[in-house]
Amino acid sequence: MKIAVCAKTTGMDAQADDRFGRAEYYVIFDTETRSSETFENPAKGEPAGAGGSAVRFISQQGAQAVLAPELGPKAVDALRAFELAAFRYTEKKTVRETIADFLDGKLAKADVSTTKSKHGLRRA
Amino acid sequence: MKIAVLSGKGGTGKTTVATNLFATLEKGMLIDTDVEEPNSHLFLKPVILERIPVKKEYPVVDEELCTLCGKCGDFCRYNAILPAKKKVLVYPELCHDCGGCQLLCPTDAIRYYPRTIGNIYTGKTLSGRSVAYGDLLVGEVSGVPIIEQLREISGDEKIVLIDSPPGTACSTVAAVEGVDYAIIVAEPTPFGVSDMKLVVEMLGALQIPMGVVINKAGLGDREIYDYCQSERLEILAEIPFSKAYAKQYAQGGLLSETFPPFRETMELILDKVSKAGGRELL
Repeated sequence: MKIAVCAKTTGMDAQADDRFGRAEYYVIFDTETRSSETFENPAKGEPAGAGGSAVRFISQQGAQAVLAPELGPKAVDALRAFELAAFRYTEKKTVRETIADFLDGKLAKADVSTTKSKHGLRRA
Repeated sequence: MKIAVLSGKGGTGKTTVATNLFATLEKGMLIDTDVEEPNSHLFLKPVILERIPVKKEYPVVDEELCTLCGKCGDFCRYNAILPAKKKVLVYPELCHDCGGCQLLCPTDAIRYYPRTIGNIYTGKTLSGRSVAYGDLLVGEVSGVPIIEQLREISGDEKIVLIDSPPGTACSTVAAVEGVDYAIIVAEPTPFGVSDMKLVVEMLGALQIPMGVVINKAGLGDREIYDYCQSERLEILAEIPFSKAYAKQYAQGGLLSETFPPFRETMELILDKVSKAGGRELL
């Protein structure tokens, strides 16, 4: 399975980014081959709708799950529509450490089945 | 004569100048096009007679016809339509209603439907003068359709004062396009001057005659005066920084009704603007 992690710079030793839709990069890690590839986030500079656009991009790269610090309401809608799972990290760690936490089952799965009011500001 | 009051930077006194000019003028109509934060009505206190919902259209995808080819999503510059795994996701509030996705759709699966993005409120002041303002719903990206409709509503009026949105984005352009004169309200601070320069550039591109009202004069520095001189911009008037003015404003009062010198300043501005516009206002 391929998982995408939000990253501030490139590679496995980059700091995990504290934003999802506007993260600088996504490091996509293949759990079978243990290989990784970094992609610049094409949506990071969008005036609006970065979350949805980023989900589409990640899905196009073949990922089935994202590891993210937080998710906006549009991103949640998009994750559901693209059938991607999401897991949340809260600690400031590197991409490598965040993936290790995920593989150890330490990251909580985000519920993307509905767009709840707690996501983002718009529906607050 | 259509006169826009604008600023670049927010909080420089657009609404103060627009509403007090309106009160001093004793004729004409005022429209508040600052639809993200309309507040002229707080000072003019019109009785609202009508609420007009403003609609914008957005795409709805027929899932039976859609083949998930992805052309709509590739085309949309605003991320408003997103072809996903089994259906197409639409974010109505991101749509700019351009119609591109519908044109491109090879199976004709897209139809546009209207939805409300905000409202226009029209009313009359105690002295029977027309006031209208727009109010964009929270979460919407663009108030331009509301502003265009406000301009349309006031289209037949001889004299219209337009309280404009801050900045120089699409909404400001929509508010000021085609006016006879623009009054820039600026404060003599570095931020005030910096944002004013953008407005001057925009008005120049739109070929709109302009003059400057320096509000909160006495604060900041002299840069604004040097800039106006170098750009040959007429300074229509200066409004001194005054705590008494700020207090009156904070209570929702019109300064021109309480302070004779302020009313004289408004008369001076109207006189200069009518001369510059070649039309009688007073």
